Amino acid sequence: MNRIITVVGARPQFIKAATVSRQFQLTGVEEQIIHTGQHFDANMSDVFFEEMDIPKPAYQLDIHGLTHGAMTGRMLEGIELILLKEKPDGVLVYGDTNSTLAGALAASKLHIPVIHIEAGLRSFNRNMPEEINRILTDRISNVLFCPTDAAVNNLKNEGCGNESVQIIKNGDVMLDAAIYYAAKAERKSSILQQVNLSKFVLATIHRPENTDSPENLRGIILGLNEINRQIPVLVPIHPRTRDILAQLGIVPEFRLIEPVGYFDMIMLLKNCELVITDSGGVQKEAFFFGKHCITLREQTEWVELVDNGYNILVGSDSLKLANAFEYFKTKKSDFSIDLYGKGHAAENVAQYIYNFKC
Amino acid sequence: MKKIILVVGARPNFMKIAPLMHQLKGDTDIKPVLVHTGQHYDEQMSGRFFEELGIPAPDINLEVGSASHAEQTAKIMIGFEKVCIDENPDFVLVVGDVNSTVACTLVAAKLNIRTIHYEAGLRSYDRTMPEEINRLVTDSITDYFFTTSVDADENLIKEGVDKAKIFMVGNLMIDTLEANLKKSEVSKQVFNLLNRNGKIDINKLAETGYGVMTFHRPSNVDEKQTLETLVEIWSKISEKIPLVFPIHPRTLHNINQFGLMEAMNRPNIYLIDPLGYLEFIHLVSKSRFALTDSGGIQEETTHLNIPCLTVRPNTERPVTIWEGSNKLINVQDILSETDAIIRGEGKTGLNPKFWDGKTAERIIGILKKI
Repeated sequence: MNRIITVVGARPQFIKAATVSRQFQLTGVEEQIIHTGQHFDANMSDVFFEEMDIPKPAYQLDIHGLTHGAMTGRMLEGIELILLKEKPDGVLVYGDTNSTLAGALAASKLHIPVIHIEAGLRSFNRNMPEEINRILTDRISNVLFCPTDAAVNNLKNEGCGNESVQIIKNGDVMLDAAIYYAAKAERKSSILQQVNLSKFVLATIHRPENTDSPENLRGIILGLNEINRQIPVLVPIHPRTRDILAQLGIVPEFRLIEPVGYFDMIMLLKNCELVITDSGGVQKEAFFFGKHCITLREQTEWVELVDNGYNILVGSDSLKLANAFEYFKTKKSDFSIDLYGKGHAAENVAQYIYNFKC
Repeated sequence: MKKIILVVGARPNFMKIAPLMHQLKGDTDIKPVLVHTGQHYDEQMSGRFFEELGIPAPDINLEVGSASHAEQTAKIMIGFEKVCIDENPDFVLVVGDVNSTVACTLVAAKLNIRTIHYEAGLRSYDRTMPEEINRLVTDSITDYFFTTSVDADENLIKEGVDKAKIFMVGNLMIDTLEANLKKSEVSKQVFNLLNRNGKIDINKLAETGYGVMTFHRPSNVDEKQTLETLVEIWSKISEKIPLVFPIHPRTLHNINQFGLMEAMNRPNIYLIDPLGYLEFIHLVSKSRFALTDSGGIQEETTHLNIPCLTVRPNTERPVTIWEGSNKLINVQDILSETDAIIRGEGKTGLNPKFWDGKTAERIIGILKKI
């Protein structure tokens, strides 16, 4: 394949795509990027693109702020028009958002091969819209790049290997990204001076099942308050979640700061004692930077972290959270095990696509 | 009382929804809401079938009309999401493998409304067919799987579906066929010819025997060379047995475009307009054999035990081959296969399990329990 169209829309997808784009340039695959507009805020300004070395999208669809069905529908229309005009050899999609699904669906109906990076991940919770997006995208993709063995197995259990579909374990492009950006972050970020803490626990909360449920939110804050009595807890928090806390009269005793960018987040991950999160990506990044993680969810797509003792799932239970903290306080782990490849995932993708005969 | 949205969009859906709507009439446990996406919308493709099959007028019509695959799917999603939010149903039931099937399942799944796919698990394993993509996508997110035959169950199990969610219910097309065969005897039987002046009377032709043909797949009719070969073959068959050919607009267009209408002007080829449902099943039920590349007729001929030759490399309805009277063949084998049928050596078969006219009853029974 010589000409690829990449469809992205959500912030983490830009980081993944940029990592692969750099490899496309080295291998000689021509790539054009469609930005659906799914994430659209101040953090997505020109500065973000420049700082992160993200190539400028060739097309911007500006679709955001709609219900799931309407958003996906509008994206399908927009992407199809571009694909008809550009006639690429393949369409590349990342992860599990509405942009991922719309890109895959539009391409498959036009018989353009679909390549899915981060394929095969499953939380087995279909109430998460991401889970539906993942399953659907995998089902219609022609080439499935899996970050982990668990992902490969999930696809095989769904019968994917029975057909003319390529399943390739290539490692995790987020590890490549973490390695690349960590060097930059050292130079660009001043977050450590700002927070000025020698030891701290880093926590993030953003999933609707936590922020929009008073009961869950209360449990988590109680647990974090408890941990904060032993070691300072630092929480970059969305203003919306901060407002919810105020309305509910839940008083966090730990330190809240404004949301942070990717570079700042890397520095916090690198220098914290422990990570507590409900994000999918942060669980893995904790591992990349050699930190244990407590996950504020009932399931995870990154089961190998749990299976190997790097991660504990606690939901929103304050007692379980406190227990997990006590457990990790003294635990020493070896983080050199190769769960997500060795940082060559993007290179593998670019090489494979370059050699792929249409 | 459970509220269930039933979705129809395109012509092949109407025959599947009809028996469900009849069965639900006056039901005190389930309230149906019929949504027509309008994928097929004109009188010829839609209105006429509603009337013939006695389907009540849709409660909601999304009127999306014709467009590209993505655009159509998009419009259905946008419209159907509003319907689901307004109606807040307990279930959404979709049928078959058209764009409406996939779009409505996707919307319902995202709203955490339970979805049922009737005709789940069919696979041609040919992803160049848009219908195959629609089937795969729908089955990957639907909650309950209603299947027409055991091979579909096996396909789903291979894809990791929980057995407890699969219900082999039989074939709704056969419900509709059984309910209408008698009525079809008194439908219109005389049609104007398109390939020359004159008329054809099906009842008269039936006295000596004829074959019925349908062709519309892009792989057979979109390329001049392939279509030319087919026209030649049809002409040769017609020297031995009359052929009645209700022609799909796409095929008619291509025959004219490629300058093949002259070659279609043979005394024993009867080219006619597309038929209504009753006219069509009458035509099939009185025929000696069917020569086709479409889906539904493979099932109807299997139930009627009439030899069917399907000119495709694969079928998503293999039970019609294993058990029924259907046979997959290549273009170059059409002549020898039709010769065999004329000699009385055509394939006969068995009626698959639950293709008995009681499928709607089974489905409604299950809906009340889940």
